[in-house]
Amino acid sequence: MRRFALLSFVVLAAPLAVAAQQPTASQPAAPPPAVPHDSVRGAIRAIDVRARTIEVTTGVGYALRVVVMQVPASVPITAAGAGQRQPIGLAALKLGDVVRASFGGYRSPFVAYAIERIGRVETGVEPTP
Amino acid sequence: MTRRVIIGAIALAAAAACRRPQPGDPVRGLSAAERARFDSGRTVFDSTFTPAVGLGPLFNASGCKECHEDPVSGGVGDEVERHAAVFHPERIGAVCDLLAAQGGPVFQDSVTPALHAALGIDREPLPAGVTTVAARTTPEIFGFGLLDAVPDSVILSYADPDDRDHDGISGRPNRFVDGRLGRFGRKAFVPTLREFSDGAFQAEIGITNPSVPQEGTVTGQPLPAGTDPAPDPELSAHSLELTDAFLRLLAAPAPLKQSGEARHGRDVFTQVKCAGCHIPALRTGDSPIEALRYRDVAAFTDLLLHDMGPDLADICFGLATPSEFRTEPLMGMRLRTQFLHDGRAKTPEQAIDLHGGEATRSRDLCRALPAADRAALLAFLKTL
Repeated sequence: MRRFALLSFVVLAAPLAVAAQQPTASQPAAPPPAVPHDSVRGAIRAIDVRARTIEVTTGVGYALRVVVMQVPASVPITAAGAGQRQPIGLAALKLGDVVRASFGGYRSPFVAYAIERIGRVETGVEPTP
Repeated sequence: MTRRVIIGAIALAAAAACRRPQPGDPVRGLSAAERARFDSGRTVFDSTFTPAVGLGPLFNASGCKECHEDPVSGGVGDEVERHAAVFHPERIGAVCDLLAAQGGPVFQDSVTPALHAALGIDREPLPAGVTTVAARTTPEIFGFGLLDAVPDSVILSYADPDDRDHDGISGRPNRFVDGRLGRFGRKAFVPTLREFSDGAFQAEIGITNPSVPQEGTVTGQPLPAGTDPAPDPELSAHSLELTDAFLRLLAAPAPLKQSGEARHGRDVFTQVKCAGCHIPALRTGDSPIEALRYRDVAAFTDLLLHDMGPDLADICFGLATPSEFRTEPLMGMRLRTQFLHDGRAKTPEQAIDLHGGEATRSRDLCRALPAADRAALLAFLKTL
């Protein structure tokens, strides 16, 4: 009798214990660990269309650095002009283009989220933040 | 008696108001709050950093004042530092490699004991393939807040990159890596005073801060573990802001009272076309600080790049070719003990004589001046 009671308890309690480990509709799953993300504005110093990487020189004053980014095919790349943003391909970017890019990742090469060409170093861009 | 005291107080106040700004003084007309920030900023500027609070591991100086020291904080110094870049004139769009991926363009001359112990180096090594190293002296920075407040449009109004007026002078703007107009630094690379000082904390002292939160590399290699014990950022945003207030509000040195000879020298200065690049006065634009708003600053510069000839050429910097330099501001010139970007000239006369490129005609006109006119020109320069 005691053995039957113990078995019944295990059979009834086990699904409840498993259910307690699962997310429910009212208790959503914890978000995955956040990937550090950043943005950069600077000049393209190198570009490899085949490997889909770009290197952007950026910095503050004389404290300069280079950010290397992978550019997945799905990343939106646009060119600012005439008040609009036109979609362009990676191959349309050139050395000396000034870009604004958002990216994420733990270490170089980072992964680009979006790239916008806003001008060229020689001709300059407006002093916007 | 009371009347005498009041008259005396008014006389003293009038005398103080008429007193010419001395090196290290703030600009006139500051509010009490602005003056307090200026004074607090000087304290940060005068600080000496140690490895325990973030100095290095690579650095050129242990504080701002170590270099900008003579005759007071913000003045000149005798330190000469190393900048390097590689010029690729054959490339389109990226002709100047500032070696940012390899620790450039500033290559520090000192290391902390911890970095020395880890790598056995006494200063940052130059990357392989670097053939030209530029020496850079410490400029005085009085009045730079006024230069910062000059609108881009004023600077660009003096640009004549294709020499359309055929005067032999073709100033052109430099640009930062993000395309904004540059104006600070010997090659006019840095757009704003704030960026120059925020970046200098890291590049010159090895002090990370909210604007530049990462340490530099050792010629592109990460710092060895344990060589940078201070947590980043090593300086607070508040300290950065106070430093900016001090620099921004430092008055330009007032020119000395001119003798008759010096006044004649000013005419000679114009006559031999020095003023073609060394524009006597620039006007500031709108500014949140009333004391900097719509002021004329006797800067004697156009803040543009000019070709100075092959003898002075060293490295490229942004759009500046090796032979192009920003017109050096002449305000505060009397405080200097060495001249030109690398200090090779020991007198103003030598500096004039070393001008080339676009300045060749002016230099030759100077050389041809009668002795009295030449003396007058130098007398004028010594009043600035």
